[in-house]
Amino acid sequence: MIPLSVLGDGNEGIIKKIGGKPEVKKHLEDLGFIVGEAVAVITEQNGNIIVKVKEARIAISREMASKIYV
Amino acid sequence: MSIRIALAGNPNSGKTTLFNAFTGSNQYVGNWPGVTVEKKEGKLKRHSDVIVTDLPGIYSLSPYTIEEIVARDYLIDEKPDAIINIVDGTNLERNLYLTTQIVELGIPVVVAINMMDVVKKRGDKIDVAELSRQLACPVVEISALKGTGVDTVADMAVEAANGKPTVPQHSFSGTVEHALAHIEEAVVHDMPAEQQRWYAIKIFEEDEKVLERLNIAPDVMAHIKEDIASAEAEMDDDAESIITNERYIYISSMIQSCYKKANKGQLSTSDKIDKVVTNRFLGLPIFALIMFLVYSISMSGAALGTGLTDWANDGLFGDGWHLAGKSEYEEAMDTYAKEYLFSNVEFKETIEEAVAAEVPGAEDILGAVEDGSWGDFEEPYEFFADSLAEQGYDISEYVTYAMGDEEEGIEPAGEVPEPENYGTWVPGIPVLIGNLLEKMGANEFVTGLILDGIVAGVGAVLGFVPQMLVLFLCLAFLESCGYMARVAFIMDRIFRKFGLSGKSFIPVLVGTGCGVPGIMASRTIENERDRRMTIMTTTFIPCGAKLPIITMIAVALFHGSSLVATSAYFVGIAAIVCSGIILKKTKMFAGDPAPFVMELPSYHLPTVGTVLRSMWERGWSFIKKAGTIILISSIVVWLGSVFGYIDGQFGFSPDMELENSVLGMLANGIKFIFAPLGFGTGVEGIKATIATIMGLVAKEEVVGVFGVLDFAGLTKLAAYSFLLFNLLCAPCFAAIGAIKREMNSAKWTWFAIAYQCVLAYAVALCVYQIGSIFTEEMNVIGLIFAILVLVGFFYLLFRKNKYDENHLTVAVKKTKKQMANVSE
Repeated sequence: MIPLSVLGDGNEGIIKKIGGKPEVKKHLEDLGFIVGEAVAVITEQNGNIIVKVKEARIAISREMASKIYV
Repeated sequence: MSIRIALAGNPNSGKTTLFNAFTGSNQYVGNWPGVTVEKKEGKLKRHSDVIVTDLPGIYSLSPYTIEEIVARDYLIDEKPDAIINIVDGTNLERNLYLTTQIVELGIPVVVAINMMDVVKKRGDKIDVAELSRQLACPVVEISALKGTGVDTVADMAVEAANGKPTVPQHSFSGTVEHALAHIEEAVVHDMPAEQQRWYAIKIFEEDEKVLERLNIAPDVMAHIKEDIASAEAEMDDDAESIITNERYIYISSMIQSCYKKANKGQLSTSDKIDKVVTNRFLGLPIFALIMFLVYSISMSGAALGTGLTDWANDGLFGDGWHLAGKSEYEEAMDTYAKEYLFSNVEFKETIEEAVAAEVPGAEDILGAVEDGSWGDFEEPYEFFADSLAEQGYDISEYVTYAMGDEEEGIEPAGEVPEPENYGTWVPGIPVLIGNLLEKMGANEFVTGLILDGIVAGVGAVLGFVPQMLVLFLCLAFLESCGYMARVAFIMDRIFRKFGLSGKSFIPVLVGTGCGVPGIMASRTIENERDRRMTIMTTTFIPCGAKLPIITMIAVALFHGSSLVATSAYFVGIAAIVCSGIILKKTKMFAGDPAPFVMELPSYHLPTVGTVLRSMWERGWSFIKKAGTIILISSIVVWLGSVFGYIDGQFGFSPDMELENSVLGMLANGIKFIFAPLGFGTGVEGIKATIATIMGLVAKEEVVGVFGVLDFAGLTKLAAYSFLLFNLLCAPCFAAIGAIKREMNSAKWTWFAIAYQCVLAYAVALCVYQIGSIFTEEMNVIGLIFAILVLVGFFYLLFRKNKYDENHLTVAVKKTKKQMANVSE
């Protein structure tokens, strides 16, 4: 398991675990980040990333991306 | 009886476009009670008894963001007669997640699948009939952008409003259903049957807001908690996540039976664009290039924006303008000026001498004379004639000889071409009103009040509208095509370093046009602390109305150096950055900026209507301010400037010297405050103080009071200090009004204004006093104060962030507590 923040440009993965505070976790889940879902990193900027999950492009900061493990 | 329909859906699902299609111009925009989330309502076209409410864009009905709370409170408490759930067909799975929650509310639901044109273009297929059967509610394919299906949805929603509530079809796994049944029986059985399920699920999720509201007896709650705990143990997850996961499982089973995807896993066009536009190397340069284009379009001399603003300032709110025949008139004027003025040898020699003596403006005048252009001559002449005369290069007698002087009764040398005689000449509003007042026989006071007070004051502000509309048009385009969301992402890393989020950048960007819509653009920032901080700092960036001040000082004292303008923007950005760092270390703003999460919409070409509407909303908010706040303050300031003491007698005079007016006396009373900033203690001190007060009405008024000539009394350093103070201090009344509205609190509004004024004062004081070391005006006491202020500033800037540590220790304590609880 590695954090999504270090997955790297253009790579794909399956979400294995989501950590963080309950409200952060819930918000991520509402956006489609759930365990078992495939994610792909579209671009990366100093750890801030744009990922594709469930047909949506979502920009998340490094802090949040590091709580999602793939 | 009227029917109420709520429009709910994810952000970027096309909700606003659909709402606009539903209601046309028949809209009412306000705020949801107690929060700054925008509330839009409107009457449905063709059904005047149906009111549509646009709910904020949400992903879920959980209680974590203001938008979610507002939306669900409305749905639960106000119980609209029907809900139209707009679903983005290109991202069906994620959008249906909200749908599964909406159908639980016990309200008739109509699902509108939007962006069907894009779905079909991709070759994907959605089995609408099957989806409708599975959800047990009507499902309609639409394209809000193209307008297809909009009427069908509206009709179906009206029909559904009179029908039965939608019954949720999905069930959760055994243990969850078991717990839900218990909850329904124990707590919510006396509620309306259709709402029971939603409440039961929320209680299962231990939703704080719902538990607060229901006030469940402790023994019942303890019983329920047991059920929840056993479900959590069985599913090895927390209750909220169990529900979330089950919803997604249900959705994917639904998707399988009614959604066919043509090609899987390929990168869409939007993804490909994002690979370039948000690229870590190309992102910033592309952004800079786009911004450069936007500003060249709205600001550069030849561009539409400035052209329109010139027309508004000099034509509509000036003498008048030519509908046609402008060039013929200009040619006639050039010929006339060449014959009676430019050919005069003495006149030209005087200007050449002035150029040799480096008198500001002389070079511009000479250039115009050599080109034989009256248009180019007139403007610098009006601006610099007095300062030229003062330094012994008086050219006004030559101009008077050629052009005549009505007031002095001097006839021009020849026949001056009249603008009315060339093509179609439309007189400006002041001229028209002036003529009207003359006809009505209005007295001096009324004429002055209307022309100099109201028309001049409000007109000066409205003159900026065209330029601003062009800027807002560009920004509206960038926003609705999807690029603005990427800007927030690109800027986030940089802004985060000083405690702001990437979303704070958009208000600052809009603020370069006008602070009022800039402050309003802060609404997209969810986190309240971040939003407040953005509101407080947005107006530090020089807005359109501050540019004349910068230009005037640059021209008057710094030979028109472009460094002055550059430094003004630099100071503005530095003020934002430093304020971010300083404020973040105070108790009020402590804590990290909210983590950045933002859905990036697909790139698409927006419709003309959407862009124009968004442009107009921003522009209109500015015009409204001009009609109310600026109108009143213009009148007050005008009254203050024409009433005063003449020869020891209080009275009214339209030609009141500023120093003798009420305004002047007020300024005389408070000018000592600004003395340490170098504004001076004499007449120029009074004028500088008046100018600063006038700046509160509208920043460009500063230029009106403080002409080029007045700077003769100020040193370069004092003038620069004056500039800095006026750039950074409290914005104009219109922007203060916007701050009040967005802060939604008088206390925070005052705090924002006080902070801006104190910062402006501190910066100007330090620059003036420390700068004075290099001049002969050094003042030891002032210098000591300035150094103390500077030290204080650096302390605030570089001190350790103690609240960060507090934050950490609290967190550690909490964890320990939690661990203790667990071990119990």
